[in-house]
Amino acid sequence: MKERDRELDDELAAWVRLRADELIAEGHDPEAARRRAAIELGGAEQVKESVRDVRRGSLVEQTLRDVRYALRGMARAPGFTAAAILALSLGIGASVAIFSVVRAVLLRPLPYREPGRLAVILHRRFNPTAPANFLDWRRTSRAFADMGAVESWTPNLSGAGDSESVPALRVTAGLLPMVGTPPHLGRLFLPGEDQPGRDRVAILGDGLWRRRFGADPGVVGRTIALNGEKYEIVGVMPRGFDFPVFWARGRELWVPLAFGERVSSRTGFSLRVFGRLASGATMAGARAEIASITGELEKRFPGTNRDVTVTPLTEAVVGDVRPALLVLTGAVGLLLLIGCANVAHMLLARAAARTREVALRNALGATRSRLIRQLLTESVVLSAASGAVGVTLAAAAVRGLTALAPAFLPRVESVSLDPAVLAFGVALALVTGAAFGLVPALQTSRGDVAAALREGERGSSAGSRVCRLRSILVSSEFALAIVLLVGAGLLARSFLGLHRIDPGFDPEGALTATVSVAGTADADPGRRGAFYERLLDSSRAVPGVTAAGMINHLPLAGDIWGFPYDVEGRPPAPPGDASFATYRVVMPGYFAAMRIPLRAGRDFTPADRLGAPGAAIVNESFARREWPGQSAVGKRVTFDEEDGRPLWRTVVGVAPDVVRGSWTAKPEPEAYMPYLQERSYLERPGSPFQYMTLVVRGSGDPASLAAPLRRAVAALDPSATVSDVQSLRRVVGEATADTRFYLVLFGIFAASAAALAGIGIFGVVSYAVSRRTREFGIRMALGAGRGELVAMVLAESMRVALAGSAAGIAGALALTGLMRGLLYGVEARDPVTIVGVALLLAAIALVASWLPARRASRIDPRTALQAE
Amino acid sequence: MVKAAASPLLQGTLDLLILRALSTGERHGLGVARRISQMTRGAFEVKPGSLFPALHRMEERGWLTSFWGESENRRKAKFYALTRPGRRQLREEEAEWGRIVVAIGAALGETP
Repeated sequence: MKERDRELDDELAAWVRLRADELIAEGHDPEAARRRAAIELGGAEQVKESVRDVRRGSLVEQTLRDVRYALRGMARAPGFTAAAILALSLGIGASVAIFSVVRAVLLRPLPYREPGRLAVILHRRFNPTAPANFLDWRRTSRAFADMGAVESWTPNLSGAGDSESVPALRVTAGLLPMVGTPPHLGRLFLPGEDQPGRDRVAILGDGLWRRRFGADPGVVGRTIALNGEKYEIVGVMPRGFDFPVFWARGRELWVPLAFGERVSSRTGFSLRVFGRLASGATMAGARAEIASITGELEKRFPGTNRDVTVTPLTEAVVGDVRPALLVLTGAVGLLLLIGCANVAHMLLARAAARTREVALRNALGATRSRLIRQLLTESVVLSAASGAVGVTLAAAAVRGLTALAPAFLPRVESVSLDPAVLAFGVALALVTGAAFGLVPALQTSRGDVAAALREGERGSSAGSRVCRLRSILVSSEFALAIVLLVGAGLLARSFLGLHRIDPGFDPEGALTATVSVAGTADADPGRRGAFYERLLDSSRAVPGVTAAGMINHLPLAGDIWGFPYDVEGRPPAPPGDASFATYRVVMPGYFAAMRIPLRAGRDFTPADRLGAPGAAIVNESFARREWPGQSAVGKRVTFDEEDGRPLWRTVVGVAPDVVRGSWTAKPEPEAYMPYLQERSYLERPGSPFQYMTLVVRGSGDPASLAAPLRRAVAALDPSATVSDVQSLRRVVGEATADTRFYLVLFGIFAASAAALAGIGIFGVVSYAVSRRTREFGIRMALGAGRGELVAMVLAESMRVALAGSAAGIAGALALTGLMRGLLYGVEARDPVTIVGVALLLAAIALVASWLPARRASRIDPRTALQAE
Repeated sequence: MVKAAASPLLQGTLDLLILRALSTGERHGLGVARRISQMTRGAFEVKPGSLFPALHRMEERGWLTSFWGESENRRKAKFYALTRPGRRQLREEEAEWGRIVVAIGAALGETP
């Protein structure tokens, strides 16, 4: 603008001089003439101002005209426009969607007071501890201003409607105040409310409050029955409150945790412990302090305070998913780059085709800056349209992602397209447009006018430069696509590997449901066993059911409880060094219902009950560890004592290893006890012992068994609750949901990338062929066969594809190491995947260049030579 | 020099006069004003305050192109010339003006 102002000054000064000359010619003296001329100009500033107004107005007008021109141009080339918008909007949409997830899950601070100062204090990151340990830690620690403990609890809530089992947490009184989220209604727990006798108070979660109490603002002060005991509601937590997220998500009820006689237990590992750093304390300091405190305790109480770790809460929540999300972010970044490269070379192609038009406009007096502005407007319009489409895609993708939302992804319910993410998308679109509009704009507008007009779009040197640039762009598309495809291929192989894992049971055709008697009359020690026996009978009587059984903790979905044991004939292990086995409690028929074929011995029968000789079934890992090379059947083990004497159980059967808490976990020793012989399950209070998971196998769709099963439970005891009704297939599906989730996303990105690379090479080859029509004509006139021409074109496109593939393989080798944590049963640098992907892309390149190559071979030499 | 001029000009009229003034060749700003005055027999005296904004606006529209040259008395000056779109615009505006003149003439002729 400065330059134009100076030019305007010169122009007005020139006017004054010319007018003065006139006046002198009319007879005025020079001095007076100059003065008068200046007066006639009417104030240079005023004139300049109105010229500037004109220019400013016209800038808006011009831009509008450019935009209209761009839109007309886009409408005239709908194929190009659609392809360009598709390429870019895929990249933008995917980037915005993944960025939304990253922001909600990784970047947004946890919604607690000073979340950075909250820590998790547990054995080996996530394993629970015992009450006496927690109390010692809390008493001795100076680095933590406060500590609280949490225990999972699933009571039956009754009164005011059907009874239901509610996911709840028992918390020490100070825990919720320490977390620092104020209640929506009422209050949090008071100090001392975690003492027995004062602990019959409850705080509702928002979901439960709305569902069960119609969001009644007067709910505080009312009482509810949990497992048959009365609790007074003292508060309601705000919507969205969830703690601690990395474990026990979606809890809807909080009650005080009173240890009672457990206060001195150092081995009942059921507590998760949280702490808030004291002011001035650091995580590192707290870690050192806890290490020394637990070191002392471990000396005094061996086996109780091992490997206690301090983990920042944020790390506990997102630590496991961070690498995966960062890999996904990288993947969408690559996809976006491919989209940009695609649009860039499309714009280049179009720009080359328009050399003549631009040269003409240049000749007609359009300045270079004017032309660049117009071409830039076109690409910005294009990218703005892509941005709009992309954001729409992203909105749909975010809905899809949250719906597909695997349970393993924490905080996924808070994922949304927020303003920051939208701004990110729009900025992305505009930057992309400017960056990739600029190169072609400069390229085109530089064109040698005369040469361009003379030669048109064919054969000019600028043309071949553009051609080279486009080849480089397409090569890079191939390289980027290879990296993505290798990533997707590795995930696909991991997924296949996961599917080859034999869970040890048959997941098809079975339904599972958890039935709890907590709080009902059937929970009485005298009646509990009979209830589950009758339930088993009536389940078997449901039409269509071919087998039924029960287990305390279903593999994959249920808990894993470890119990120390001793083997007959060997000295008892010293405390802390005992062998552990996973503790399973089953009803007769469980193995048949799961289709777990016993390796040796027999299943339990209804005769294996209290009073009869103790029986147990162990898995192969157990048998191998304790009696390698021998038959386990007939050996004796003990898990507990009665009246101070070990309670011996005879191994009656050996079961195969079955998947455990997670799909890929290594098999560990496990032992199954007969339910009817387990005193704790038959008699102990406390909801962990008052539910069993029913497994029924039917001939038809397992879902059809749900309703008759619920009726069967209700017929036995209407206040017993049924929860987690799901097919065994679904339980297994959940266990591999994370790999499937990453595979689906990566697969979509990689397929898009491959398609874009294919479109890219098609475009480049078509363009090259059209530029060389004349050359092909000459070659044919000189006797080249059609096959030779096709081969020549294909060879050229293969060169572009191979150059890209080589770079892509190098990139894949460098980058896939980042995915190691997401893979199963396949190396990050798996040669099969890499070679397969390279071949796939070569095939795509071949197909994409086949069409234009055939066109080249069909050229009629006469027409081609006359074309110019 | 007829001073009585300066009846307010419609914008379109000024554009037409400038295009017309340049149709016989390139001119600098003062030259355009002189030519208009001459063409209209002194009826329109275009002041710099409206001349320059008009020239710049028309240049932005692509009707005119400009360059620095020398006046007949060897003074440096900015010259304006018609572009091809400018010529087309002149033809269109002439035709339009012709229709207006006929219409207004007819209207005036019919007044009682």
